[in-house]
Amino acid sequence: MSNVCEDHIFSEIFKKHSKTVFNFIFYKFGNEEKAHDAVQEAFVKLWQNCSKVSPDKAKSYVYTVANNLYLNVIKAEKVRLKHADSLVNDRTNESPEFLMEEKEYKEKLDNALNALPDNQRTTFLLNRVDGKKYAEIAEMESVSVKAIEKRMHLALKSLREHIDGI
Amino acid sequence: MQENYLAKWLSGELSDEELREFESSPEYASYQKLKDVSSKLMAPDFDSEKALMRLKDEHIANAPRVISLNPFKKFLRVAAVIAILLAGSYFYINSLNENVSTEFAERSEVVLPDNSEIFLNVDSRISYSKKNWDKNRNIDLDGEAFFKVAKGKKFTVSTEHGTVAVLGTQFNVENRNGFFEVTCYEGLVSVTHKNQETKLSAGSSFMVINGKIIKTGTPKGTIPSWMNNESSFESIPLKYVLAELERQFNIKVSTENIDTNLLFTGSFNNTDLNMALKSISTPSKTNFKIDGDNVLFYAGNTLQ
Repeated sequence: MSNVCEDHIFSEIFKKHSKTVFNFIFYKFGNEEKAHDAVQEAFVKLWQNCSKVSPDKAKSYVYTVANNLYLNVIKAEKVRLKHADSLVNDRTNESPEFLMEEKEYKEKLDNALNALPDNQRTTFLLNRVDGKKYAEIAEMESVSVKAIEKRMHLALKSLREHIDGI
Repeated sequence: MQENYLAKWLSGELSDEELREFESSPEYASYQKLKDVSSKLMAPDFDSEKALMRLKDEHIANAPRVISLNPFKKFLRVAAVIAILLAGSYFYINSLNENVSTEFAERSEVVLPDNSEIFLNVDSRISYSKKNWDKNRNIDLDGEAFFKVAKGKKFTVSTEHGTVAVLGTQFNVENRNGFFEVTCYEGLVSVTHKNQETKLSAGSSFMVINGKIIKTGTPKGTIPSWMNNESSFESIPLKYVLAELERQFNIKVSTENIDTNLLFTGSFNNTDLNMALKSISTPSKTNFKIDGDNVLFYAGNTLQ
């Protein structure tokens, strides 16, 4: 039987899920350093308890540990995301007005994202940036799929209202 | 429109009809732009290889896994139980008396905590409390022993025939079935027999045979003869002599047509059985026969 204590299995799990753990914590609290630490702490815990956690439970185990780490401990800071340059690069013939508008829109989006409640922002970004399905996000947050759909719906609504200035 | 339709729209779960309705709504353009732009957002860089290296360097090298901790915990549990048992038995044994005994044809020497010495003759047993020795110098004796007592508090030897108390001296106590003899070689010894105290000065003996106090002569030498591998007797019933012979050589002695209450004066060597047998048979005018570990003494005029 494969065991998380085996080095190659552990490394495989780490490579597969560490990035999502990192993003998960970053979206929530907007603090890169804390997100790095969360990855370390969650996987150290997994390693320490490797004999008790089966490989198929390892994924939700590290999310739960990471999620519990900073619960009620740190206040959300600004979430600064990078915007893919390709949006601009493949349209070199855009007018300066259009580029200006694009820049303004991105700023509005950033502000709108930071204005969202932590759990709505996390759900929205995990789906939009990481391409996670609602079911996966539900597993990470230990809530129902329906609750994630609700958060997603409310996030979209708030973002649109914020950007459009309603 | 169904509940959470915006979420359903993003995940492509709206029905054609719902989709058409949504697309015709005034907010649709805004949502569409939001969908496009948000999909091009990027999270900060994260190098999972580097993070894994850091994890292994900083934490895993130092943090033992539970799997390796478990047997150690079990070991600790077992070790704790053993430690408790050892400590418990140490105190228990410490509170018990020390016992030294000799078998037939075996002798032993014991040095007590205060450097007093006890020489145990054959088939003898002593016991004393090592822990309380400083407070209570008491020896229980069954058999025969020679004592060299270091100066100090009262030193007592308890036997079923009586007690012997001294302060610092050298004396011999023989406590056998029906036979009790104390010989003082140095200093002063107090013997209590049936609540009667007798003081023995150096070079005197106190002897009780079958409950009767017997007058004895002056012992020879400064240590008991058995310390020099010789058993000496002065007017002692032959049965005690033969009993001593049995103990010294680990043999079985039987008699035929002999009055073992006759008194015997003499000695026998404790190392040479043949010589010892002759030493007894010649003065008592008896004959003997050896058959393995059995020796038979018979009257001189008995035909065998």
